[in-house]
Amino acid sequence: MDLSIFLSIVCAMAWGVQSIYLKKAMGSIPFQMAILITLTVNFLALILLIGLGIGEGFPVFLTLPAPVYFYFSVAGLLNFVLGRGLYYSSFRFISVTQSTSISSTYPILSVAFAIIVLGEKLALHQWAGIGLTLFGAYLLMVKGKR
Amino acid sequence: MSHLRGQVEATIASVCFGVAPIFAKKGLMSGLHPFYGVLIANGTALVIMIVLAFFSQQVWQWKAIKKYGLSNAIFAGLCNSVAIITFYWAMSIGKVALVVPVTCIYPLFTMLAAYFFLREGEAFDRYTVIGTFFIVIGVILTI
Repeated sequence: MDLSIFLSIVCAMAWGVQSIYLKKAMGSIPFQMAILITLTVNFLALILLIGLGIGEGFPVFLTLPAPVYFYFSVAGLLNFVLGRGLYYSSFRFISVTQSTSISSTYPILSVAFAIIVLGEKLALHQWAGIGLTLFGAYLLMVKGKR
Repeated sequence: MSHLRGQVEATIASVCFGVAPIFAKKGLMSGLHPFYGVLIANGTALVIMIVLAFFSQQVWQWKAIKKYGLSNAIFAGLCNSVAIITFYWAMSIGKVALVVPVTCIYPLFTMLAAYFFLREGEAFDRYTVIGTFFIVIGVILTI
């Protein structure tokens, strides 16, 4: 098997399993605290990787222009604070499987953005994909067990 | 009502996950290594969450945290770190057109793991299983 495919499967497994640990954690700690702990672990792991020599070391941070900090800070706010916060919070009300599946439909938003704002045209299989995703979300939200 | 709240929160989370890469992409256009970008994004979020924890008085509840909850949250963080690292590693050596669709199958792993380890409190019926499969196949077809 190609290494990139193997790594992609490991990535999918790790992403998939983390929700289970979170759900278990949130049984005994508040979800904001769960976010804080996962962010701290991520932060330390990234610091370790950069410290081990990935990229060009820490001095790079001193040379970055302000807009780069701005863009990644907004991305962090949207992804790690708002996105993750709401995703973890939803575990308290619906099942992990439903929450993970619903929140994984985000590529549809990118496609909608591409159609509406950029005027891009979609291939037939992409329309089929949108239809399947929306129907899957409908099954989970309307028909799924409560 | 709480069921609806969960669905709305998961949907808004999806919107946030969809919009965030637009800003990340803008930042990466400077030629920066993705790990640096993730570290800035993660660091910003960490600072915000620390401030929020102070304001919500939760930071003073550290001593009340059970070892079980703490260890599970740490494992979740480790899984997330592994996911980030393998994702960018795969992207750096493989084709984006292959890597991205393969990583999109993660809801299937969540469903499997939830079935084996979280049976209590998890909604498992044919609609949930079929709906999850449809979403995964639909997303793979779309990207």
